[in-house]
Amino acid sequence: MTLLSVTELRGGYGAADEIVRGAALTVEPGEIVALIGPNGAGKSTLLKLIAGLLRPRAGHVRFKDRDVAGLAAPDISRRGLSFVPQERNVFGTMTVAENLEMGGFLDRAATRARMDELYGRFPMLADKRRAAARTLSGGQRQILAMAMALMNAPALLLLDEPTAGLSPRAAEELFGTIVALNEGGVAILMVEQNALEALAVSARAYVLVQGRAEREGRAAELASDPTVRDLFLGGSAPPMLSGNRGDFQ
Amino acid sequence: MTLLVQALLNGLVSGALLAVPAIGFTAMFAVLRFPNFSVSGIATLGAFAGYVAYGAGLQIVGSLAVAFAIAGAAGLFLDRAAHMPLVKQGALPAAIASIASGLVLENVVRLLFGNDMRGYDRPIARDMRIGEVRFNPQQLETMAIALAIMLAVFAALAFTRIGKAMRASADNPDLAALKGIRPQRVAMMASFVGMGLVGMGGMLLGLDSSIDPLTGTRVLLSIFAAAVLGGLGSAPGAVLGAFLIGIAEEVSVLVVGSQYRAAVGFFAILIVLSLRPRGLLGERAF
Repeated sequence: MTLLSVTELRGGYGAADEIVRGAALTVEPGEIVALIGPNGAGKSTLLKLIAGLLRPRAGHVRFKDRDVAGLAAPDISRRGLSFVPQERNVFGTMTVAENLEMGGFLDRAATRARMDELYGRFPMLADKRRAAARTLSGGQRQILAMAMALMNAPALLLLDEPTAGLSPRAAEELFGTIVALNEGGVAILMVEQNALEALAVSARAYVLVQGRAEREGRAAELASDPTVRDLFLGGSAPPMLSGNRGDFQ
Repeated sequence: MTLLVQALLNGLVSGALLAVPAIGFTAMFAVLRFPNFSVSGIATLGAFAGYVAYGAGLQIVGSLAVAFAIAGAAGLFLDRAAHMPLVKQGALPAAIASIASGLVLENVVRLLFGNDMRGYDRPIARDMRIGEVRFNPQQLETMAIALAIMLAVFAALAFTRIGKAMRASADNPDLAALKGIRPQRVAMMASFVGMGLVGMGGMLLGLDSSIDPLTGTRVLLSIFAAAVLGGLGSAPGAVLGAFLIGIAEEVSVLVVGSQYRAAVGFFAILIVLSLRPRGLLGERAF
């Protein structure tokens, strides 16, 4: 059974605003899928539409075989989908421990055990449990944001630019963490500007251009495709690839 | 010197009484994101609800509970019916509507109880003295109740699940929603508890002096000043601001006379915000 299936999804930030224009993608249980593309392609907006932070104007989001398009964010989270936004992804005024507690808001009974498990997996969080989240470094904050998402024991984790603003070393460590989480059974849909690195850890990938998934294929194939390398992995202009759509399917 | 110590002591009492509604005001701002000026009418309503309950034979704590419940319910109703639908258009329309709501409440109280001053019928207690400084044991009792309410609020924010959810929602509403915290429920909780505190504050102020339909209007500026001074949205800031305003108002009477007391709040806002635009403690929710 496909874990997440998005079809013909449309939406944006306002009633007249359409940033995502008929996007379609799937995520199978246990896989990492990368979503790459030029700036302004609608990658982050697509994640927000899937997670329920924005209301789609049209289209379907089937998660665990149920259409969740248009449901509010708390209802989608309750079904096992956790979204880690790019910015403001921790409660800065609260302590690390309180952030984790809020991450487990939906499953009070399991909160203590999951916090202990996460302290074991990320000792930095245990060391800083009483520190305000706003005092953490960028990398530490990303780890906390992901740990908060894991408190909900999600089947699918949506990550929006998890390595944005991190040093190369911190980014590398974070990719390692993402792979480790995935090996624990969590499926991941990841938007990343570090496209080569994202493709290196992903099974499949989509190239989003102007609100549509213009290409889809195995990550390794996309990473070695000269057009994709030139246009998106360090390229600047966001040209349309509609003529090539489906080449990798 | 004696006068100054007396003014400081009076200021501490005033500050403690002011802190309770100021926490309510700032907590609502933190979650609902508009300054709810209907606290003037709600404080009056709470003072009269407590007055009726006390007159009916309830003790002070029971009467405070009644003031909390009535004020909280009225505040929740006004937020749902009149203020929240306007917040989508911005904080200003909601704030203006809340001024109107406060006036409506004030006049409802006037219609029901008239314009006369009323006092809680408490037994007369002799002032106590330490040297030349005098204090009334009932004032100290009222101050102790206010401090106990503050402690209870901080304990709830620090240790309860719903308190933490309120802080999370105040910090980052979108992220809170992603964690499963329902923004509507938190907003309703903030309205009810915030206005409940304002209602209890109205009754505490009434216990300290007397009540009439303008009870809340008279303290509106002080409540607002306390919250702004501490940093709008910060509960500890509201407490700090309330004590500073309470002391400043009492000490100002010695320096410039009581006719300028109402200006102290404005003056304090002007000075502090010039130096620290986000208030003394910023927007730290707790």
